[in-house]
Amino acid sequence: MLSINNLHASVEEKQIIKGLNLEIKPGEVHAIMGPNGAGKSTLGYVLSGRDGYEVNDGSATLNGKDLLELEVEERAREGLFLAFQYPVEIPGVSNMEFLKESVNALREHRGEEPLTAAEFLKKAKAACKQVQLPLDFLKRGVNEGFSGGEKKRNEIMQMILLEPSLCILDESDSGLDVDALQVVADGVNSQRDGERSFIVVTHYQRLLDYIKPDFVHILADGKIVKSGDASLALEVEKSGYAFLGKAYEESEA
Amino acid sequence: MSQWLSEVIAEGQRQNDWLSGNRQQATAALANVKWPVRRQEAWRFTPLVPVEKRTVSLAGPSEQQSTAPAIDGLDAYSLSFTGNQVSDEQGQVPEGLTFTLFSKADEAQQASIQALLGQVKPSHHLFGQVNDALLTEGVYIHVPANTVIDTPIRLTQLAASAGDQHLRVLVHIEAGAKVSVIEDGFGDADSLNTFVSEYVLEAQAELEHYRFAMYTQHAMHVGSCHFKVAEKAQLTSNIVGYGSVLSRLDVDVEYTGEFANANLNAIYLLAEGELFDLHSTIEHAVPNCTTEENARGIVGDRAKAVFNGRIHIHRDAQKTLAELNNRNLLLSRRAVVNTKPELEIYADDVRCAHGATVAEIEEKALYYLLTRGISRSQALIMLNFGFIQELITQIPNAAVSDWLLHRLRERFVSMEVK
Repeated sequence: MLSINNLHASVEEKQIIKGLNLEIKPGEVHAIMGPNGAGKSTLGYVLSGRDGYEVNDGSATLNGKDLLELEVEERAREGLFLAFQYPVEIPGVSNMEFLKESVNALREHRGEEPLTAAEFLKKAKAACKQVQLPLDFLKRGVNEGFSGGEKKRNEIMQMILLEPSLCILDESDSGLDVDALQVVADGVNSQRDGERSFIVVTHYQRLLDYIKPDFVHILADGKIVKSGDASLALEVEKSGYAFLGKAYEESEA
Repeated sequence: MSQWLSEVIAEGQRQNDWLSGNRQQATAALANVKWPVRRQEAWRFTPLVPVEKRTVSLAGPSEQQSTAPAIDGLDAYSLSFTGNQVSDEQGQVPEGLTFTLFSKADEAQQASIQALLGQVKPSHHLFGQVNDALLTEGVYIHVPANTVIDTPIRLTQLAASAGDQHLRVLVHIEAGAKVSVIEDGFGDADSLNTFVSEYVLEAQAELEHYRFAMYTQHAMHVGSCHFKVAEKAQLTSNIVGYGSVLSRLDVDVEYTGEFANANLNAIYLLAEGELFDLHSTIEHAVPNCTTEENARGIVGDRAKAVFNGRIHIHRDAQKTLAELNNRNLLLSRRAVVNTKPELEIYADDVRCAHGATVAEIEEKALYYLLTRGISRSQALIMLNFGFIQELITQIPNAAVSDWLLHRLRERFVSMEVK
């Protein structure tokens, strides 16, 4: 599914990702944890192709396609989905229009007919309900005036509608209370079908109580320094990133 | 004095009808006018060169039946004017108001028209006086006190090559009455058109007003809308401008009573070498009134937009709330915007804000749309258009809002392709 080899990436000539390897098979959930500044969010941006994030070495393929050769929108059409830590507010573009454009762009790529307004509305309403957002959120500007939790739920709604093959959740738990966390986790879990894979980027173990990972990786200084099963997350929760050495503890503080 | 203005004066003096008194006054004033050059602030960015050497040719009766573009779902009483006369009529005059064409006014109505004509429009507008001198048809609407008119009235000027048109609209809304008027203009034929409207809003009156200046190409247009707003009256005005060789709109709001408010939204969408110039002046002459004005424009190709928004808060106008905002988006390096918000404040207890920006597309928003599989070109359309779509969706009349959304989007998409 996703294969990352020796990935090096920089932002404004500062090296952030320094030789990252990651192999994800269909249906797997991988959690990536790590101290601030380790490069967790950068990984999502690099894989999705954000301007200014330069790949200096290595490779990344998704379902055999060279991701790094593709434009941002082409990566999305190949099945990559990034749930943002800070979703962008776009006043003037309605959530409905935005969602319909994206769903139909992906359908077109797969050679499917675009959904009619009525067909789309039905799907959107169901997705809206699933993440417990009021239906009038479809009419509002994209994320405009949404609370932090509403924005995160809107991201999950998009994921449900776009049916990607690989989802990267970038700190989807940050700023959420327990109820909202449950809604987000339920949304994600409902999409686990044995085929779809997930990268769950998080700072805290808490989210992993709700979304059970198959693997946990610790990212530090641009590399995966330790991998294990779900118990590794509990270990981090208990004793912090002490095992990484003193420098990381300080960066944490 | 330009050749054209001399001809206007001569023509105005030649007209001999019941409006002669008004015409004479205007021509006398015009005789003393210094032809605007670019040193004059009001015309600094909008040269009148295309007008100077024109000959005055008043449109005669138009032979062809001209109709305004249909607004789906709009149930309105609609009149179109071509060649200075009604070329199309649809619907019924709404019950409860008086609707009079100048050409059909009886003596009593003529007296009402003469009494109102020029009473709202400030005398300094050159083309307003040209309209005074040359107007050949007009509409007088009178809404009696406490009458709510649900059916909008739509008045359309259709520019035609047959000659110049000078249309006048006078609307008197008595206390507590409510009405909606849509004024629009279309056409691309070589012509010079003025379209002047004057509104009196008495206490607690409500007006939902629209002015769409959609003239293009060779159709020159200098129009104006003037409002006097009395105590607790409410004005909302939605303005749309396309550009042509010369298209200019002046909007004046004067508060005559306290606790009144005005909400003005303006959108302009300019392509090719078009010019659109919007001047607005809000006179806060009394205390406790509220103004909110938002003007947003997208300017492409070699087009030029001029925005001048003046808010004048007189010494006695305490507790005024006034906000003026102008945002622009340039789609090409050769596109130009001259924007100037002007706040002139003589009262000390007021809250005012103004701003003018030339916006750029936010990289983050574009990236966000791309990560959802939307193509770059489509994302740019959504983001750029979203900028003015915000104002369109606020339009109270749903049929008009839908119509504009569709029409402006089409125009915008065609601009993008170039």
